[in-house]
Amino acid sequence: MTETIQLALKTLEAQLNQPLETALEACARCGLCAEACHYYRAEPKVEHIPAFRAEQLRSVYRYEHDFLSRLFPVWTGAKKLDEPMLANLTEIAFSQCTLCRRCTVNCPLGVDTPLMMRAIRAMATASGTAPEILVMLADAAIEKGKDPSFYKEMFLEQIKEMEEQLRDVTGDENATIPVEKQGAKILYVPLAGAHTILPPAVVFNAAKEDWTLSIFEASNYGVFLADVNRAKQVAKRIVDEANRLGVKEIVIAECGHAYASYRWDVPNWFAGQFDFKVRSLIEVLGDYIREGKIKVDPTAIPEGVTYHDSCNLARNGGLIEEPRYVLKNVAQDFREMTPNKDEAICCGGGGGLVALAEYAERRIAAGKPKADQIKQTGAKVVVAACENCRLQIGDINEHYNLNVKTTAITDLVVRAMRLPKPLPGHEAEYLFEGEGAAIARE
Amino acid sequence: MSEAKLFLDFKGLLCPMPVVKLAQAIKQIQIGEMLEAVATDPGVMADIPAWTRTTGNELVTLEKREDKTIRFVVKRAK
Repeated sequence: MTETIQLALKTLEAQLNQPLETALEACARCGLCAEACHYYRAEPKVEHIPAFRAEQLRSVYRYEHDFLSRLFPVWTGAKKLDEPMLANLTEIAFSQCTLCRRCTVNCPLGVDTPLMMRAIRAMATASGTAPEILVMLADAAIEKGKDPSFYKEMFLEQIKEMEEQLRDVTGDENATIPVEKQGAKILYVPLAGAHTILPPAVVFNAAKEDWTLSIFEASNYGVFLADVNRAKQVAKRIVDEANRLGVKEIVIAECGHAYASYRWDVPNWFAGQFDFKVRSLIEVLGDYIREGKIKVDPTAIPEGVTYHDSCNLARNGGLIEEPRYVLKNVAQDFREMTPNKDEAICCGGGGGLVALAEYAERRIAAGKPKADQIKQTGAKVVVAACENCRLQIGDINEHYNLNVKTTAITDLVVRAMRLPKPLPGHEAEYLFEGEGAAIARE
Repeated sequence: MSEAKLFLDFKGLLCPMPVVKLAQAIKQIQIGEMLEAVATDPGVMADIPAWTRTTGNELVTLEKREDKTIRFVVKRAK
């Protein structure tokens, strides 16, 4: 047995607990999971049935844990793990499952196939066979946490420039983007780019919030690798920052996996050091509108708007009504996709897939059911509160000629706030509107 | 003008996509050769140095230009 296989099996053994063993033992092979999976709906073949994917790991588990299977593997379909099998398992777990959990909620026994896919991802990561780019992105994030000084000066310069843009678009000379503000109520954690800093800054300033911007990004590629050690190191940067600044609350940018991990996993990983409320930025927007802290024009967006439920926010995070509350307050013509909410179909970009160029063709093919749903709404704007979903919807928009615009909820809220000037890069959106067009021309 | 063997246009790409594309593109040049790229997302100011530190490649230049684009040159070291 090679060292790679030893490491993979050792990792499988280390993960075996009641939920994983139940998932490995409980399948009734009824096949009801097939239609739940966007891969199967896009291309109905046996390899795309979640139970078939799970069976590949179950065969290894049986060989290792069932005496009869070890003696007569052919009878029970048990297989001894070898390198080609590990490569096949790795490909299945990283390219044919987005961990969306739609199969789980549609399984009569509640078999958690994504949990098994996570187990394979962990085996691949530990044995050095996981996709290199995900490992690289996780390690780069950890590096930032070890010594932020190598980029902090440049980061602060960028924030100063964004602050000038903020003052320009809002007309508020006192608008600020505070960084490392001791004792602030909220630590807002963006993604890496300006598009997740400037629009929320507009909202926080309008609501006169006591907030501060994190110097780290919310994304956590350790989560996609199912590597708890790496994922903890990435999250620790923000936990330490929140503790150092003494904030009360951590607010996560519009990002599916980051919200799910900070809401559900991180408080357990850092039990005793994590005394913070965690909210998504969407919940904050909803509260500001409800409490009248920000004023939005309900007629600001006349185009048909539809909402894509990110799996990590809706099915796995419980954020179902809040985005709809916000959108119904800013969009005149809100249209639901069918099915939606906790039964929403995955866009195909989750689980880190959008970062894996080698699987791009497969990812776009798996996005067909979502493209069909979007087409059926007739909407011109597709809103998604997750960066990976937006990237994927952007790609399927191009591939399936959907002719839609993809945007974040915060961008629409800011547009409905009727700023004196549009945000940089958002000028074209104002041309949809009579009044906005006039503003843009001035 | 640098002596880059490969020129990449990352304008309009949002982080982490510039790093993802850079990681793929670096394999197209030989060890000791350089690539040059232009991006617009300010996130690259942190992401590119972090990536070079992690991978052991050399960040030769990282600069913000007057037109607000960000130019960087990376030398493949591994």
